Amino acid sequence: MTINHHPPEDLLADFAAGRLEEAHQLVVGVHVAGCARCARFVQAIEQLAGLALEAVEPVPVASNAFEQVMSRIHDTPEERTAPDTGRDHGREEDIPSALRNYRIGKRRRVAPGVSMRPIELAGAENARAFLLRSAPGTRMLEHTHTGTELTLVLEGSFSHEGGRFGPGDFDYGDDEIDHRPIVGQEGPCVCLVAMTGDLRMNGLLGRLIGPFVRL
Amino acid sequence: MNVAIRALDGPIRAEAGIPRRVLALLSTGVSKGPKEQVDWADLIGRVASTGDREAFKRLFEHFAPRIKGLMLRAGCSADEAEEIAQSALIAVWRKASQFDPATAGAAAWIFTIARNLRIDMFRRRARANRLGGTSELPDTPDPAESADVVISRVQDAARIASAITRLSAEQSMVVRLSFIEEKPHPDIASLLGIPLGTVKSRIRLAMNRLRDILDEQA
Repeated sequence: MTINHHPPEDLLADFAAGRLEEAHQLVVGVHVAGCARCARFVQAIEQLAGLALEAVEPVPVASNAFEQVMSRIHDTPEERTAPDTGRDHGREEDIPSALRNYRIGKRRRVAPGVSMRPIELAGAENARAFLLRSAPGTRMLEHTHTGTELTLVLEGSFSHEGGRFGPGDFDYGDDEIDHRPIVGQEGPCVCLVAMTGDLRMNGLLGRLIGPFVRL
Repeated sequence: MNVAIRALDGPIRAEAGIPRRVLALLSTGVSKGPKEQVDWADLIGRVASTGDREAFKRLFEHFAPRIKGLMLRAGCSADEAEEIAQSALIAVWRKASQFDPATAGAAAWIFTIARNLRIDMFRRRARANRLGGTSELPDTPDPAESADVVISRVQDAARIASAITRLSAEQSMVVRLSFIEEKPHPDIASLLGIPLGTVKSRIRLAMNRLRDILDEQA
């Protein structure tokens, strides 16, 4: 798997620091898990964070904190690492292992040749995450975003003026980008998407179906 | 390789090629007491192999107040910071056998534990707010990694340790303030006495520089 498109560095640094919204943390995390180059970058930020931890002014913990910790260690049964059976997500897609702990909703058709499955996130944040599946050759509607959109290709490919995006590639879209991706002919394209704000469809068809496409 | 990694853990850092000016900048407070050379990785190993309570106590006394300090700087309340510090040390005890000194420095490893606990705490709270009660939630999994990525982590550890020493003192500082202490850019500008535009460009340059150094080593 050759990865040609990577997340911007500040997004990786925010990921390493644990500052991203859950949806974004998820999509960047799946990319990093499969990309040695970005894993190195994240590790470098973690090392810098380790230096910061060493250097920070210590703040006293509660006077009985050590005893509390020891009693919590002895009182609570050893955390068992739950067998990693994962949830049954069906066989339609090769769900990345990072998604195994998430509940993934039912497939919903959103446009001709395009369907999605929402990923249930814990928090009440304003970002959403979903798996988007598009048939080969689908021309996605021209659209812009009111927020940001992070897209990670899991299977297949799409292309737009920014280039071709295959498995592992990461595409970052914000409200300045007006793109119209075309799905490759080699097979369906499955993407993991995190999105803030709303999608705005341009063009007549977009205006017609827009109200129904609550991605 | 181990020398380079160890270098990140303790006061011997200066010998590993980090310029002293970086260390001076990176340490905000006056150091407490005489500098002693402690091999934190070794202490974690003793916790893992024999459940060494003394070793654990030293880890606790060193890291718990620092985790609390870092979490406070990053915007946690005092209660949250205390809870994360205690829970992080419990995790250090329980996960000690998972620590691999070949891939991470002790401080970096403990940082990632505290970071994940904070993520879980915020998500749990958000979920409780949304559902009007507490709810079971899977813990943030340790990042899933494919086998080849894990292997390259080991090979990369020394390179990464040396890469971050090649950032300038100014660059290390803005990365730390912006991403790890989570200070807004205007606060960083006034803290360092530089214009806001310089903060932004310095962060960008630091990010690019780090990527370039890592790429050129790859």
